[in-house]
Amino acid sequence: MTSLAMQRRRATAGRVLTQFRNSKPGVIGFVVLLVFMLVALAAPLLADVRELNPVFARAQGNPQWAAPGTFGALGTDHLRRSVWAQFVWGSRVSLFVGLAATVLTISIGSVVGIVSGFVGGRIDSILMRITEWFLVIPFLPLAIVLASILGRNVWNIILVIGVTSWPSTARLLRAQVLTVKQRLFVDRSRSLGAGNVHLVARHILPNVSGLILANATLAVPISILTETTLSFLGLGDPSSASWGKTLEEAFVNGAMVRNAWWYFLPAGLGILVVVLAFTLIGRTLEEIADPRLGQAR
Amino acid sequence: MLTTEQPESQGRTRFILKKMLGSLLTLVFVLVFNFVLFRIVQSDPIGSLFRGRNVPAAKIADLRTAFGLDESLWVQFWAYVRQTLQLNFGISYQSRQPVWNEIVSAIPATVALVGISAVLSAVIGTVGGVIAAWRRNTWKDHAITSGTMVFYSMPDFWLGMILLVGFAVVLGWFPVGGMTDAGSNARGVALLLDRLHHIFLPALTLTLAYLGEYALVTRSSLLDVMGEDYLTVARAKGLRDVVVRNRHAVPNALLPVVTLTAINFGFVLSGAIAVEAVFSWPGLGKATADAIRGPDLPMLQGLFLLFSAAVIFFNLFADIAYAWLDPRVEGA
Amino acid sequence: MRRMAVILMLALFGAAIAPAAFAQEDARVVLRIGLTQDWETLNPTAGFAVSEYEIWNVHYATLTDKAAADFAPIPGLAESWEVSNGGLTYTYKLREGLKWSDGEPLTAEDVAWNVNTGRDQEWDNMLSTVINLDAKVIDDRTVEITSSVPDPKLPNMDVYLVPKHIWEPIATDYDAAVEYEALDGVGSGPFVISEFTKGQSVVMVANPNYWGWNGEKPPIDKVIFQTFANPDAMVAALQQGELDAIHGFPAGSAETLEADPNIEVVAGRQGGFDEIAINGGAVSGQPHPALLDLEVRRAISFAIDKAAVIEDLWFGLAGPLETMSPGADEAKWIPDIPADKAFAHDPARANQMLDDAGYLDTDGDGIREMPDGTNPIVLRHAVNTDGDLAGPIGELFTGWMEAIGIGVELASYDQDALFGVIIEGDYDTFFWGWVPFVDPDPMLSYFTEAELESYNDANWTDPRYEELYLEQKVELDPQRRIDIVHEMLTILHDAAVYIPMYLGPDLQAYRTDTFQGWVRQPADIGPVMFSNSSPSYPLLRPVGSDGAASSDGTNWVLIGGVVVAVALAGAVVVTRRKSSADDRE
Repeated sequence: MTSLAMQRRRATAGRVLTQFRNSKPGVIGFVVLLVFMLVALAAPLLADVRELNPVFARAQGNPQWAAPGTFGALGTDHLRRSVWAQFVWGSRVSLFVGLAATVLTISIGSVVGIVSGFVGGRIDSILMRITEWFLVIPFLPLAIVLASILGRNVWNIILVIGVTSWPSTARLLRAQVLTVKQRLFVDRSRSLGAGNVHLVARHILPNVSGLILANATLAVPISILTETTLSFLGLGDPSSASWGKTLEEAFVNGAMVRNAWWYFLPAGLGILVVVLAFTLIGRTLEEIADPRLGQAR
Repeated sequence: MLTTEQPESQGRTRFILKKMLGSLLTLVFVLVFNFVLFRIVQSDPIGSLFRGRNVPAAKIADLRTAFGLDESLWVQFWAYVRQTLQLNFGISYQSRQPVWNEIVSAIPATVALVGISAVLSAVIGTVGGVIAAWRRNTWKDHAITSGTMVFYSMPDFWLGMILLVGFAVVLGWFPVGGMTDAGSNARGVALLLDRLHHIFLPALTLTLAYLGEYALVTRSSLLDVMGEDYLTVARAKGLRDVVVRNRHAVPNALLPVVTLTAINFGFVLSGAIAVEAVFSWPGLGKATADAIRGPDLPMLQGLFLLFSAAVIFFNLFADIAYAWLDPRVEGA
Repeated sequence: MRRMAVILMLALFGAAIAPAAFAQEDARVVLRIGLTQDWETLNPTAGFAVSEYEIWNVHYATLTDKAAADFAPIPGLAESWEVSNGGLTYTYKLREGLKWSDGEPLTAEDVAWNVNTGRDQEWDNMLSTVINLDAKVIDDRTVEITSSVPDPKLPNMDVYLVPKHIWEPIATDYDAAVEYEALDGVGSGPFVISEFTKGQSVVMVANPNYWGWNGEKPPIDKVIFQTFANPDAMVAALQQGELDAIHGFPAGSAETLEADPNIEVVAGRQGGFDEIAINGGAVSGQPHPALLDLEVRRAISFAIDKAAVIEDLWFGLAGPLETMSPGADEAKWIPDIPADKAFAHDPARANQMLDDAGYLDTDGDGIREMPDGTNPIVLRHAVNTDGDLAGPIGELFTGWMEAIGIGVELASYDQDALFGVIIEGDYDTFFWGWVPFVDPDPMLSYFTEAELESYNDANWTDPRYEELYLEQKVELDPQRRIDIVHEMLTILHDAAVYIPMYLGPDLQAYRTDTFQGWVRQPADIGPVMFSNSSPSYPLLRPVGSDGAASSDGTNWVLIGGVVVAVALAGAVVVTRRKSSADDRE
């Protein structure tokens, strides 16, 4: 990479950072996200993982269905386990699955979108056909069907979400690549005999990377919400305690009928806040990447 | 989710025909996909059927042969296609009834719930979006945009759980679930009101969950339109704000919303799965949630096909509607 | 426009109130029962659900009944019987003047036709009872039933007798019999089927020709069974007086129901139990090799905390259980296991046993390995999604095993899939249950070689057990038979392939202010409905003058109507104002 290019890159990065810092929603989102990341990482410090084991909970003499205040910050559930521990450790699973699934989604979507837009022609038509098909099939039923068949563990859920969410990313990126490609034809570098890979790496990628980042940030909420819904319906990994799984256990074990709000309120709030944070950051990044959007906000 | 493909200069009829062909191809793809996916997994409903029933072993072996599926995959596939066209989706593992019957009896409940919610969320959301765009950057705008974003960011079924606990369990104003009261002989209008009583909370949940999308889309679409010239002219003519908004800006901004509504109806059909489960609302969503607990594969297969077909159909409908409504589409 | 809105509003308001005026119950006595299971078919030759058996128990009288106290055979349609031919032949004398609900006479012809046709056409529900029997009509009121082998179940004749005059033309073969809808409404029990709406209810009306009324007017006119998809709604309905009794409510609601002075809770047991089963490795499939060692299975048994399950998941309503329970009469068939042979909750002992047997944790990861240091002991535990408790028990099981250095992997299956998995043998442990019959033979058969790769889900055999099984099958001396069964159950217990967790009750509740006369079967511990022969129905009487339940639903209908009307009126008013402002443009 030439030093000129490097300088340009650093300048762009700096510009992005400044714009981001100036956006109030963006900063709020970022701070909130940071807090939750810290909670997830510091889980062992915040709650004893053994509290997730019902046998341990019983041996400790925990009460059943204790309300917050009478026992622990968030009370206990039907198996005497600390709801606070479930919340803290659940954040790990929810965030991990959300991020991992998004990485998969964006990878597939970007590759398909970029190749499709760049190469054009027959390959473009075929890839776009496939994308259209996936877009049409209702997303949740497809995820349900795949998860039912593949079996219930964390990796399958990540796979399922990734495989069902990539189409909109692909479409978005293809559109962007087409725009960039137009500009490129005016660009002199092709007339200078530059090869395809060079074009993609040096010109297309930098121009779409902003959009990829924004799209990725906005895709995380979808991944998290999908994992939550799938877990709630019983398709989650039975041995991992995501927030969605907590909601499922609350529902199935009658937390609602006994008004044990402390069991299902925190998990849902956690999801709500994390999703909002990612959404705020994502929209801010989108505005930075495509200033025209900013005026319509 | 918008299809913003412009028909260009191909003429309306040709455009519609192209869309219909596309939909058909997609349906075929879904059929093949469905078949392949479900043939990977089989289980043994016969043995389980007779577990604990005190039936001699030889008898069970006989029945197993009668149900045997040992033909080639290709033969099975054509049998599957033929059966699907005859609306024969097999027998549900859980209820031992034809899947088609189970699905058909669940459709009205979902259509009622989803229909009401889709209409309400479209209307309220659009109105909210209009107000937000028109009063851009005022507190009204911020309130509406933030409020809808919050509802949009929460799991819809979680909102349902909260409403259920708050209004049905604690306050007792609404029933804890289901579609009608137990043991009621209600008929006619009384039955209708009972059903309304039961549909209120789930419909409220879905409406709140979905109106965000309408609000935001309407808002940005309207803001786009508001930048266009003919509105300046209208304002220059001295027309009142409200009129400019309602007579000129809104109708044009509504175009994407119309198509959004149509498309969404197809998707919302399957989006109510978790919410129906929470409220025990006896529709397609609850049937899906119950089938998952199996997995009741024939049911899942049938439901999946139905959901896909619904989306394909409504997408087609939206495309045709768009072609009709958009003045920029050329005639045949 | 505005006038229209007001008229609409008033109309809706009126409609909301009207049903309250018309919703008076007629003066009939109606018994309402709620349950959570649905009915598939009401054909007694084909169905198999608990909900369906209850309907048949009420709709069809049987030749002999079962005593509520202990299931002993007592006169039913037959008023007496004689045994002959070394116990192989029973001659039953029917009561005088028996009639079907449609007025046709009920004779020995009906009995003989049922037994012989059920045997020849192999009707699923009857077959194991009648397979060795042959029935002969002696005269209108006398029928002779002969068994080709000694059968300890006789004189018990509890097969449902269907009306020959209706069924004979229809049931030409097995398929025809099984596909018949059986909604003719002709029966011989206290109530007969009048309406069936799948997913909703079965309505039964009193049968004045039932022998048990003894010529008196039936005290109850109608029985309505209602199915609920949502168990919490069912509990609420009982509390609000919309139901008189409920069956199968969630354990978590027991406390609230017990607190209600007008509701009686019954945790009825009839031998049903749940167990954690270990793959015994007899045929097919690959259990973890450690499980083939009896010492390991015994250690696992010592690590299970059954009291925790009974306390936390059943709120104390389940009964303790040490061995498998093969028949409905728990007191009779379950042997006492001396304390030194029983598996008490003792994780320390379990750990010691595993250490001594050489299963050590050589790499310090908390999981023991085989004595040669390889193959860490991780058990694949199957969670049965059709049961509410399987999930929590899966989690508890993980905890218990962790405490003795054994890992657990959970996988979820529904009943059908689980059955397939078990047959293939690709599992280590699972949690499931059984509800045995009155006679222990079927349940005992599920641990024999003949049922391997079928219902033998312990995947285990034992030669002595096989011998004893064949003995008890033809043992006519009751006490001797009990002894044989006790020996069999002890063998099974010591093999530690089944860890019976508890005797699981049917959770039922009934209102004490509407009907009285509920009878438990068996005495003191059994359920009051959905029991083996459902003896309560002919004995129930209304408390006070009327037993009809009033519906509180109309209050909510009213509120709903008002809300809707106000909302509509509001909408109309709002839109009116806007359009008038516009028009003035």
